[in-house]
Amino acid sequence: MSKARDRVLDALDVETFLLCDTREEGMELGLALMKELGFDDVDVVFCEQGGPGVRIRLRAYLSRPGSDYPWTGQYDAGEAKIGG
Amino acid sequence: MGEKLGGVPAQGDGEMSAPSCRPKKVMMVPLDPVHDVGLKLIRRALSERGHEVVLLPPDLAPEEVVQKAEEIRPDCLLVSRTISYGTAELLARFLDLLDAAGLRDKMKVAVGGMSIRPELAQEMGFDAGFGPDATVEDAVAFVEDREFRGARARRRLSKPDLTSGFSYKFKDEEIGGLCHGIARELLSWARERTSPGVLRAEIREEMEKARAEGRLDEVSKLREEYARLTGDEILRFYREGTPVSHTRPLTASETRAFSDLEKRAGDGEDVVRPASADVMANRVVFVQYGTGCPLMDGYHILLSQSWGARGVVHFDPSWGARQEGLLEGAWSHQHDGTVITLENLKLIKKSVLPWTLWQVRAHRGLNTPETVVLAALAGADLTKVNMVYGSLAAGTDPERLCVDGVKCLELAARFGLPYDVVTNEELAGVPAAKAFAGMLVVMTAGILTGGRPILQPLFAHSPEAIIGGIMDEDFVDFNAAKIMVLRDIVDAPIWPGAPVGFLTQSQDRAQSSTMTALHAALALGLGAQAVTIASSDEAYAGGPIAGGSRVDSLKSVAAALRFFGKTKITPSPRAAALREKLREDILNTLKSAAAAGSFVGALYAGVFGSREDGAYPGRAGRGTVTKRS
Repeated sequence: MSKARDRVLDALDVETFLLCDTREEGMELGLALMKELGFDDVDVVFCEQGGPGVRIRLRAYLSRPGSDYPWTGQYDAGEAKIGG
Repeated sequence: MGEKLGGVPAQGDGEMSAPSCRPKKVMMVPLDPVHDVGLKLIRRALSERGHEVVLLPPDLAPEEVVQKAEEIRPDCLLVSRTISYGTAELLARFLDLLDAAGLRDKMKVAVGGMSIRPELAQEMGFDAGFGPDATVEDAVAFVEDREFRGARARRRLSKPDLTSGFSYKFKDEEIGGLCHGIARELLSWARERTSPGVLRAEIREEMEKARAEGRLDEVSKLREEYARLTGDEILRFYREGTPVSHTRPLTASETRAFSDLEKRAGDGEDVVRPASADVMANRVVFVQYGTGCPLMDGYHILLSQSWGARGVVHFDPSWGARQEGLLEGAWSHQHDGTVITLENLKLIKKSVLPWTLWQVRAHRGLNTPETVVLAALAGADLTKVNMVYGSLAAGTDPERLCVDGVKCLELAARFGLPYDVVTNEELAGVPAAKAFAGMLVVMTAGILTGGRPILQPLFAHSPEAIIGGIMDEDFVDFNAAKIMVLRDIVDAPIWPGAPVGFLTQSQDRAQSSTMTALHAALALGLGAQAVTIASSDEAYAGGPIAGGSRVDSLKSVAAALRFFGKTKITPSPRAAALREKLREDILNTLKSAAAAGSFVGALYAGVFGSREDGAYPGRAGRGTVTKRS
């Protein structure tokens, strides 16, 4: 639990208004923004054009269900598979 | 009480304990040009509890306030500050003046208001600071020298019984007579038959009993017997230990993390609950979980309960309905739906609070009776059964699902598990009236087997409504007509779902949450016993539902319920006409089913939903039903 981002349960959403000419441009800008912020597993949840740009909601999954969760770090000693 | 001092007052049902201290003299003053309503709320609470309260007018200079304090000599001085400009300087000067007058040590001094940050207030030298999230109880507790834990206050709710008080008597005798005739035929037909699903349920029950009693040789023998009745992938798991695709065993660290989750849930009384959730305490709002991972589910369940969910519904993977047999062990699934095993369910149960209704669905596939067994063994409160939906819109052969479904009804009755009878075949295009006719027959079969069914009409912008323009003007009348016609027909509980607002939500979380909230408020306002809601990710298909999106829709539902209170929503006169039409079409559907002479035959023949409607009799499990010897 050394980093704040390790406390994110699953996803981190970024909501903003991006200045652009088309919805497509807005989506490209949004994804580029998430990459600039250092996220890899990113997607556009919502994007709607109006006036000078787009209202956009972007999402980065930091932990998808079934992946390794950083927030279980405190229990990591003695890792072993127990299912099945 | 439970009113927030900043922002929106919340409705609460918690009563403050009687004051245990002597009556205090309290002086209150807004250090603002206008009054803060928060101070008036506190004054009312303190006065009702016998304290002597002096509320000074607004717009006094700090020097004037200090002078008044010298005259009044209160035990407590509560000041408020709403506007943020120059707050720190003003408060620092005020404390200096109090100190200079020799009053600072003679009284407790607190500051509150929209511009106050509690930690900063205490750093400045106030005895307490109350920010926008503080409640009246916080301030009263401060005056009375009590510790108040705000949202952490211990709280115990009771588990609702959705079926309590219902007679299950048909008010519409014509429809009731037809339902009874068709249901009796279904029951007698099904009881002469069996299937691999029925046999596995019986074996699973015996196996878990033997396991609990330590008869391990017996378990091993039964496990082999069970395996012989499973399909390819499940058989490989039992024979070779091969995991099903896209699943992996839970790790030891994940399993240990459940103990942290269990600790956070505790007995439920210490779970932090935002004030907005108070309004949900007396309403039953279900959320659906099924992220694929039992641990992630646990956290989603816990946060959902904190924000007011009173029920949770387990979603399993769609392939789980198409494969003969269920797995054993604790598994994580990397796609939607959490694998049903007894071990997974028992882990998930750790996050379910004592007063939360927990539903494990058994409605649609090849493992329905066994799912009821596991639900009961894991301690679930409810299950879900509907052979019509499962065979017309979820891919299971009608004959097979009717045999398995009747076994489900019998098991649910024996285990005392109420169940909803879902009508999501509407989403495939089946008209509501046909779906309702099927639901009413299954409900009747449930009553005849001693069960406690719950009607589950779909609140949705269904294909029928879209194509027919039924909801072009509003989303109220058709949904209201559904409730009205069911109330006309039978005295049974109603739980709209699942989730409400289907096909009305967009990817915009504000729009999605609003639609969910309005549908939930409509259903509950029309007297439904419960409602199942979606997250604000309902229309987003790009990834798993995020925990925060569950909070969005729960908060919106709470806001809508707060807004409407006990106000009844009155549909337009069109709803009455829609109700009449629904009743007529339900009746005609039941007449056709009765004329068919066989419920199963009517399913194949499209009486309860035809290919033209969008319903296709499923093929999974076809040819697996045998006559009982």
